[in-house]
Amino acid sequence: MKKRTTNVLFACALASGMAGAGMTAYAADGVLDVALNADVSTMDVMKTTADYLIPINVFDRLFEIRVLEDESTEIVNSLCADYTVSEDGLTYTFTLKEGVTFSNGEALTAEDVEYTFMHLLSPESVNADIPLELVGAQEFMDGTADAISGLTVDGDYQVSMTLSKPNAGFIAELTAPAVSIIDKTTVEAAANFGISLEETVGSGPYMVTEWVNNDHITLEKNPNYWGDPTSVEKCVIHIIPDASTQNLMYQNGELDILDLDYQDASIVSSTYKTQYADKIVSRNRLALTYMSMNANDEYLSDPQVRRAVQMAVDREAILQAVYSGDGHLENGIIPTGVVGHNDNATEIVYDPEGAKQVLADAGYSEGQVTFEMALDSTASSNLQMVYQIVQQQLAAVGINAEIKTYDESSWLATRKSGEMASFLGTWTMDYNDPANIMYTFFGSAENCVLRSVNYKDADIIARVAAASSIIDDEERYAEYQALEEKIIHEDYQWLPLYALSHFYAISDEVAHYEPHWAGYSDFYLRDVTMN
Amino acid sequence: MAKNIGRRVLQTLLVLFCVSLAIFILLRIVPGDAITTMMGEHADAETIARLTAEMDLDKPFYVQFWTYLKDICTGNFGTSYTLHKPVTELLAAAFPNTVKLALIAAAIAWMIGILCGVVAAVTKDGILDRLFMGFSLFGVSIPVFMVAMVLQYLIAYRLGWVSISGVEKWTGFILPAVALGWNSAGSIARLTRSTLVEVLQEDYIDTAKAKGLGRPAVIFLHALRNAMLPVITMMALQISSLLSGAVITETIFSINGIGRLAVDAITSRDIPLLQGTVLFTTVIVILGNLVADCLYTVLDPRIRKGA
Repeated sequence: MKKRTTNVLFACALASGMAGAGMTAYAADGVLDVALNADVSTMDVMKTTADYLIPINVFDRLFEIRVLEDESTEIVNSLCADYTVSEDGLTYTFTLKEGVTFSNGEALTAEDVEYTFMHLLSPESVNADIPLELVGAQEFMDGTADAISGLTVDGDYQVSMTLSKPNAGFIAELTAPAVSIIDKTTVEAAANFGISLEETVGSGPYMVTEWVNNDHITLEKNPNYWGDPTSVEKCVIHIIPDASTQNLMYQNGELDILDLDYQDASIVSSTYKTQYADKIVSRNRLALTYMSMNANDEYLSDPQVRRAVQMAVDREAILQAVYSGDGHLENGIIPTGVVGHNDNATEIVYDPEGAKQVLADAGYSEGQVTFEMALDSTASSNLQMVYQIVQQQLAAVGINAEIKTYDESSWLATRKSGEMASFLGTWTMDYNDPANIMYTFFGSAENCVLRSVNYKDADIIARVAAASSIIDDEERYAEYQALEEKIIHEDYQWLPLYALSHFYAISDEVAHYEPHWAGYSDFYLRDVTMN
Repeated sequence: MAKNIGRRVLQTLLVLFCVSLAIFILLRIVPGDAITTMMGEHADAETIARLTAEMDLDKPFYVQFWTYLKDICTGNFGTSYTLHKPVTELLAAAFPNTVKLALIAAAIAWMIGILCGVVAAVTKDGILDRLFMGFSLFGVSIPVFMVAMVLQYLIAYRLGWVSISGVEKWTGFILPAVALGWNSAGSIARLTRSTLVEVLQEDYIDTAKAKGLGRPAVIFLHALRNAMLPVITMMALQISSLLSGAVITETIFSINGIGRLAVDAITSRDIPLLQGTVLFTTVIVILGNLVADCLYTVLDPRIRKGA
């Protein structure tokens, strides 16, 4: 009997094994199941620069970004019906759409917009940079003023904002998740805004109805949504930290959208692009992966060494070997798809022999140039492989790049100190304007230290900071392009690598899925159609 | 008795104080801080400085530590820097899962381990002995994550008998508990066998046999009871360890437990949350040892009588 039972078990296992991997036909339950690898820390965007799941699905902004058929993007009105800009480019007057309500039925008015900006200027805010552009914002934040003098409300549906200096990218900034409009009445009375479900009241297509820490978040359709209602009645976001568990859950029919970013690139190529080819949805990321080189490093302080590094790294080979070519090379700082991107940027050519010659001409013997490449221990297996390939390619021209692994917090702290010699990083755009990436990395001496780049040209830094005030778009883009040409192709300060495509696999229950315009890993659930 | 209890409570408080102080010091020695980690890619100098002051992290070390001590004396373990929730609330949400997982894992490990150990001991050098000891070596040697992934693939994915992840249903605990208990079962089996083999060679066992007692009675009533003392020590350590969290198992099976909470706290330099999880698990370990001591006295009359 015992032997027979064992045989039956073995046969079952074998039979299921022979059936091969394939999606189990789960009954359509009308619930959209997706997975994140980590829980959100808060639902209050004022306190986070990373957890955008709730802001982009539960809250709205004055403007949104829409992806066009050719994959380019445009800014469209959301809560804002119309706006005007003063001739000096300093004052923006917004007229809000009427009839918009929060999920609790309260009308969304200009006072809510004002309160949102005030909330973002709280002492514990990590997202104060956009409101701080307003006249009087700093005084309000410091507690020396009761209101933001540069923000005035006129009636229920009109609000004016005056900037302390012109910023041509201001409308683009208002599409960022950070400026999600919150309900003044609810938040003012809230004891635990950001944690409590009852207090998470937005005007977006979904409401949060359940949040079990480190387990799942449930979103349900907002019955009071002012826009086109979503076809998703209920969405459960499972918190699944292990990538292989997510993989099994998708193949077992337990997930309707799988973010393939969490999966090893080899699994994506060998399994998903073959067995699930018709289930793949992709989005070109508005992001840039780059190699940063610290101008304070013993060797990387020499522009000729940085130039040799640029010539020694075969970016195309990395893209093909690690990511099966799913992306495109970048030659500047402003990624493809971002307004102001330069299609004609000078190409960075792979030339290992040239790199050796540059090093020899600069007086370096083979193996003399040594620096550290800092790796965050939480980096994906794909990124770890990229580090190793870069290390080998640099070794081939006589540069010793030592890979040193830090835990995430140490990695960030070392980078912040300005002492990280070199690392590979990725910047995903918060809003579609070149200032978002240019200013972050090269807009001030402090930013250059925080990013461990320590760029030395103060004139260029000043020009980057001033560029956002150029009102004429063409003139502004030309200035940014000239600046990135100088930083990348004359000073060799950075090595732009590539922008990767972001792949998702959808289940039979999903008819259509449109990922976030920038390729965020936070699920953008506004454009999902269920079968 | 009262003196002993008093001494034990004082020792516990001293251990908790030292552990707390050590964490405070260690997290200031290693690079990294909660605010930088929290802001990630978006860190800027002004915001970091403002938040550091706002969260009183710019105060001297001893001031922060003294404030923390005063707070925990009033039951306030603080609010997590990164999760923005009270630490006690986060611990209360995670602990039930950890307890269930630990108890089921321990039950599986001990049942299998003791049974295999007894069978191996009484069939010393026989086929069953070699089989079970080989099996236990397998249990001790194979890493937990590998057992977890194989079980998850075969039992949950291929056979579909239980869910791949999550513990909404009680059946969700089965695979993680087996994966977690697998290793412990191996250790228990090997220890049970070695101590039982020793005890079975004692004179009093021959006496029991001479009295005409049956083999099961000799093994279970006389030999096993005496052989269990070191096994109980190991069991107490195992249960303390299991209750302290099982990060890998919790991660693979997506269980919100103490282990995941602690690791998240370390990686994000979330001092209040880390202090809370560590103090909590320290208490668990101390209690585990206390229970083991009590069991000693029950099982061993020499200890009970102070011999």
